[in-house]
Amino acid sequence: MTPHIITPDKRNMAVHLALAGLLLLVCIAALSIGTVRISPQDTLRALTGSADPMSNFVVRELRLARVVAGLLSGAALALAGCLMQTLARNRLATPGIIGIDNAATAFAVASVVGVGVSVAPPLMALAGAATATAIAFGLAGVQGTRGYRFIVSGIGIGAIAGAVTQVMLSRVAIDAANAAYPWTVGSLNARAEQSVLLLGAGLAIAYLILLNIRRPLNTLQLPDATAISLGTRIKTTRFLGLALSVLLTGLAVAVCGPVGLIALLAPELARSLCRPGRIPLTASALLGAIFMLTADLLGRTLFAPLEVPVGIITAILGSPYLLWILLRPSPRSLT
Amino acid sequence: MLVTLASLLYGAGPVSAGDAIRALSGGGSSEARFVITELRVPRTLIALTAGLALGLAGALLQALTRNPLAEPGLLGVSAGSGFAVALAILLGATTATLTTLVAQAGALAGCALVIAATRVQGMGNDPIRLVLAGATMSALLLALTSMLMLLDQRAADEIRFWITGSVAGKSLAMLEATLPSIAVALLLSAFVARPLAAMALGEKAAVGLGHHPGRIRFLVIISVALLVGAATALAGPLIFVGLVVPFIARAFAGPDIRKTLWLCVPTGPAVVLAADVVSRLIARPSEMPLGVVTALIGAPVLLIIVRAGRLPSL
Repeated sequence: MTPHIITPDKRNMAVHLALAGLLLLVCIAALSIGTVRISPQDTLRALTGSADPMSNFVVRELRLARVVAGLLSGAALALAGCLMQTLARNRLATPGIIGIDNAATAFAVASVVGVGVSVAPPLMALAGAATATAIAFGLAGVQGTRGYRFIVSGIGIGAIAGAVTQVMLSRVAIDAANAAYPWTVGSLNARAEQSVLLLGAGLAIAYLILLNIRRPLNTLQLPDATAISLGTRIKTTRFLGLALSVLLTGLAVAVCGPVGLIALLAPELARSLCRPGRIPLTASALLGAIFMLTADLLGRTLFAPLEVPVGIITAILGSPYLLWILLRPSPRSLT
Repeated sequence: MLVTLASLLYGAGPVSAGDAIRALSGGGSSEARFVITELRVPRTLIALTAGLALGLAGALLQALTRNPLAEPGLLGVSAGSGFAVALAILLGATTATLTTLVAQAGALAGCALVIAATRVQGMGNDPIRLVLAGATMSALLLALTSMLMLLDQRAADEIRFWITGSVAGKSLAMLEATLPSIAVALLLSAFVARPLAAMALGEKAAVGLGHHPGRIRFLVIISVALLVGAATALAGPLIFVGLVVPFIARAFAGPDIRKTLWLCVPTGPAVVLAADVVSRLIARPSEMPLGVVTALIGAPVLLIIVRAGRLPSL
């Protein structure tokens, strides 16, 4: 992690362009593949509304909203994960692992099944995410976010939140519980238009802010004393980063439920692709969106007409990698 | 002093059950008698057995890995067993004996994986990394189980009820099917208690005292698998019981592994039975899944252990 390269890095540029291109391809694939198969050319034409009515309808009315939701939530989750990893200096500290996803879900489910609250799911999810983060940081105490202790606290919080979700689901009618089930494991089915709009707005704002605080964020990777001497106000930067991470997680969970491991894997891969020493914000977001759309596409098509929730796909594909990180005989430094 | 405490804990099980019966039956009518003999008694016995098995399994696993956070539910042993049972239900298995065997096979696989993981260099010294690996393993197995549920709606209903953990509506035949293996596991635990205490001093010390670490490890894995498999077949995956029970037992028994093991025998049933009573009372007239109650009790204990500043060394 030595930022010895000072000149603009061509490779970085190429990586971003390649990722953007890949994302475009995945989007087109996600729009054209499904129960009704539409050729890529027709898909592009349907987007502008100039294909046959059937394709127009399927692409614009059915698939586009889903793809947009997947795109935004994948990007938001990955960005949140990237931020959290940077702030905690621990690449395992992602919202999913420290229980923020689960808490956001529990709160959002509370608003759906109506346990005496009438606040919209996105706001409830935000509240849940904020609560879990506060508890996790509170419990981490003196030791801070660096250690594994922080993460185990998160596992505990996640377990409590998961249990609370179960309690609420077991107390409502079986229909409501069944309807909420795909959502509690992470699925793009349960999205509401309002939540997607909110997520889009939140993602745009968060991304703009992040672009502006990129420099101080980068210095947070250095020891505190160095960062301070470089003119970074660490407390402000850290708080802002954390707040944005919570915002992104909460809004994304309101759209797609707790889709695990995207927040861990996308920044991880982005970091190895991009130039060292910088926090790969854009690349993480692009990769997150790619992962989300690909996983959703797999979930939709593998066992068609059955639909496997995207959260299950990411868990099955992502967990082996996480296990490999954890069980490697000589792990790379986790900081 | 210890014996008194132990006998108090012994009492906790039957007393709380008795309270529940008295509070809920309301007299000796035939209806109430039916409820008690046909529903409550099996349920109570099953809760007792599951608690015993899980508590002991937790204590054994913790002693072997020298990790106070080692817990069958957290480390993916229960999830392995749960996945195996879900697979069996999907394939049409219905008999109690078969389910138990399948659950035990799943638990064995999960257990072997966990122990293999602790043998990876550097892992033994890092209790929390092991837990994280276990949690990941559990998540993976849970995702696979969910996928199985999606594939078959009929099986899904059966699995969904069972997977949150419950001791209600299980028959005594199920219990009978698991008893032999629990008895074997108890004998095995009695046999390994002394060598395990020696292993706590380190493997070299254990060898010096004339024990065979490899053989002991094997026996412990077998008995943990038998216990967890039996408990899972009976009550579904009950997370955190194996964490809470040894935690309580250790608070009374101190560092002595043998005392901890034996204290788990009364503590486990007491804890699970208490949780079951809570699950019945908390959401009347409906019931809360037992697994949810144990998670709500256990997760704070996990936080306490982690928060304690230093992990109690085993």
